[in-house]
Amino acid sequence: MNYFQLFNIEASFDVDIQELSSSYQTLQKTVHPDKFAHASEQEQRIAVQKSAQINDAYQTLKNPLQRAEYILVQRGVEMPNEQHSFQDTSFLMRQMELREMLEDVRHSGDVDAALLEVQSVLSTEYLQLSQIMRTQISENNAASNSAACDNLRKLKFYQKLNVEVDRLEDSLFDD
Amino acid sequence: MALLQIAEPGQSTVPHEHRLAAGIDLGTTNSLIASVQSGNASTLSDDQGRDILPSIVSYQADNILVGQTAQALSIEDAQNTITSAKRLIGRSLQDIQSKYPSLPYEFCGDENHPEIMTRQGAVNPVQVSAEILKSLNLRAQAALGGELTGVVITVPAHFDDAQRQSTKDAAKLAGVSVLRLLNEPTAAAVAYGLDSGQEGVIAVYDLGGGTFDISILRLNKGVFEVLATGGDSALGGDDFDVVLVDYLVEQAGLVRPLSPSLERQLMKQACFAKEQLTDNDQVDITISLDDGSDWHTNLTKAQLNELIASLVNKTLRACRRTLKDADITIDEVIEVVMVGGSTRVPLVRSEVEKHFNKPPLTSIDPDKVVAIGAAIQADVLVGNKPDSDMLLLDVTPLSLGLETMGGLVEKVIPRNTTIPVAKAQEFTTFKDGQTAMAVHVLQGERELVEDCRSLARFELRGIPAMTAGAAHIRVTFKVDADGLLSVSAMEKSSGVESSIEVKPSFGLDDNQISQMIKDSMSNAADDMQARMLKEQQVEASRVIESVQAALFADSKLLNSDEITVIESAIKSLAQVSQGQEVKAIENALDKLNDSTAIFAERRMDSSISQALAGQAVDKM
Repeated sequence: MNYFQLFNIEASFDVDIQELSSSYQTLQKTVHPDKFAHASEQEQRIAVQKSAQINDAYQTLKNPLQRAEYILVQRGVEMPNEQHSFQDTSFLMRQMELREMLEDVRHSGDVDAALLEVQSVLSTEYLQLSQIMRTQISENNAASNSAACDNLRKLKFYQKLNVEVDRLEDSLFDD
Repeated sequence: MALLQIAEPGQSTVPHEHRLAAGIDLGTTNSLIASVQSGNASTLSDDQGRDILPSIVSYQADNILVGQTAQALSIEDAQNTITSAKRLIGRSLQDIQSKYPSLPYEFCGDENHPEIMTRQGAVNPVQVSAEILKSLNLRAQAALGGELTGVVITVPAHFDDAQRQSTKDAAKLAGVSVLRLLNEPTAAAVAYGLDSGQEGVIAVYDLGGGTFDISILRLNKGVFEVLATGGDSALGGDDFDVVLVDYLVEQAGLVRPLSPSLERQLMKQACFAKEQLTDNDQVDITISLDDGSDWHTNLTKAQLNELIASLVNKTLRACRRTLKDADITIDEVIEVVMVGGSTRVPLVRSEVEKHFNKPPLTSIDPDKVVAIGAAIQADVLVGNKPDSDMLLLDVTPLSLGLETMGGLVEKVIPRNTTIPVAKAQEFTTFKDGQTAMAVHVLQGERELVEDCRSLARFELRGIPAMTAGAAHIRVTFKVDADGLLSVSAMEKSSGVESSIEVKPSFGLDDNQISQMIKDSMSNAADDMQARMLKEQQVEASRVIESVQAALFADSKLLNSDEITVIESAIKSLAQVSQGQEVKAIENALDKLNDSTAIFAERRMDSSISQALAGQAVDKM
């Protein structure tokens, strides 16, 4: 049973989050360990296990990048190792520029504005790229799947940059 | 011996029986216990009609006082009277001394197991908490007229693994059975949600005596889904008092170290002044100094606000970050529920109102709401409400990870992951021929090991010698519904396995706990034996009851041979549990549990498909 079947929803990148979440809650109402707090140890153990599996499946389908990866792996697309080097030099150049932009925030005259600027640039580029990936996933042929896989890797770079932005924000506004 | 009763297959033997359960708010400054009686959750009072029990324990020469009687001694006998033990639980000595440098106690024990020297000898913060739990348990037994089947104990959402584990250990010492550890803001959300019937996204701002939590939840048809939680396990109203004390010390020209009783007196006066300034614009303060003279001063609300502004600001920053984690904008939050006594401070209310752009909800008593929510959950967990569709989906407050090369932390489970959760990650060896691997488990958000909380270390040995990078070591993290972690590691090609319940670093180990239980009993060996026998008998009847109920409902999932095996295991457990042999009951229990493993799995799978089928039908 794949995750889409588990939640009884259509296998597509465009998941109806409402529907997914309602299926998820129905399932958890059945298996959550709280429903077995008074049951035998055996049932408690299995409840924890099933509930954890359902949580994992839900997180995978809820998060767009994880969902994309899940769909591509299900289609048999080989996910390259994270350490595997990237061929696209212009993309790598752009990443370096963005990284520099992020580093400059700390020294900027107006830190708030500089931070907002970085966040807006990152989110625009992320959105564009994820739209392209979405189309490629829906085309579903060997070439488009492999292209989607490349874009997924690129999107993960953006995700990492976003984590760094959050970290920077925390460090700037903490005591 | 009485004849054993065995039910006819397919017939329930389980008449509906109301079990006694309670919710305990084990607070830094005050504790409460509540229970659901005839459908209503309310706090239980002591024989003098007081429901709040100050979380204070005083070790006197021949007895241990808890609550108001202990509070009365907190100044004159500061060293033997322990307040706010919750701030010390699950922490290292260094941690305690750097956070709270002016505590009036004499610490002993080692770095990872700090103890306080009292006239009754050294006591661990876990033991102090256990005294509070014992006192509440006795109160509940008197009020409800019987022994409790189980309790739900609340903990700050931001409590780390060591603090949670220590809280559970305290319950074990006190002899109360824990159904669940529940996060305080989630408990408050349950009380609020069921009371108001509101649906949508709410924020729970919980500022207690020693801890601050902010949780963002989505309420939908009985489901309380925590989207994100944040806060600080060492920030609370006590810290307002601390800055106020420091200010008073400076104003009075006093030089530290001060005597323990003067420190206590200053703390008490500061707390009193803070409370007075809730309804008044100024307050007079008098301190009796050690030389017998009095020192007077006057404090205004504006001065207090200035002193605590940066602390309040810190809570707002946590709110901002948590909203971001939850992916929720401030406008989506329909209500901000205020919890904890420190939310009475006017500056806190006004700043929260400004931040969330709406007046916070203070209609439910902020002191009681957590205990009430815990009582509601306890009533459901103990099985009194089989038709309840309430479901609490909580999250891990802090990221969990492992140390990798270079002193870096690799996150395995990020913060705000819904629990229970199981996640595995693969690691490999660093050197050729490496046959062992040190697994260092950490909790926290920072990148460097030294900035995170060390939870446990263990070693995986017996890895076959291979070239560097060839071994595949799979490390699995599991967090259960109480938020407690266990970790196991396995080398995949050889199957060498090693695992650990994350426990040792700052708490007590199991031997220490059973030793303490023994020590606390007058006739140690016999009492211990009697207690273990009783526990096993209760467990046996609980398991028999639940397996019989399962057979009644789902025997169609088994063939007749399987049913025979299970029934004979039930029969033999029922028989030995009438006897006095603890070990024999344990064995029979294990046997019954083993014989029902497949059954339990099939039942779970069948209910999963039924749940979905039901939903598909609903959609048509």
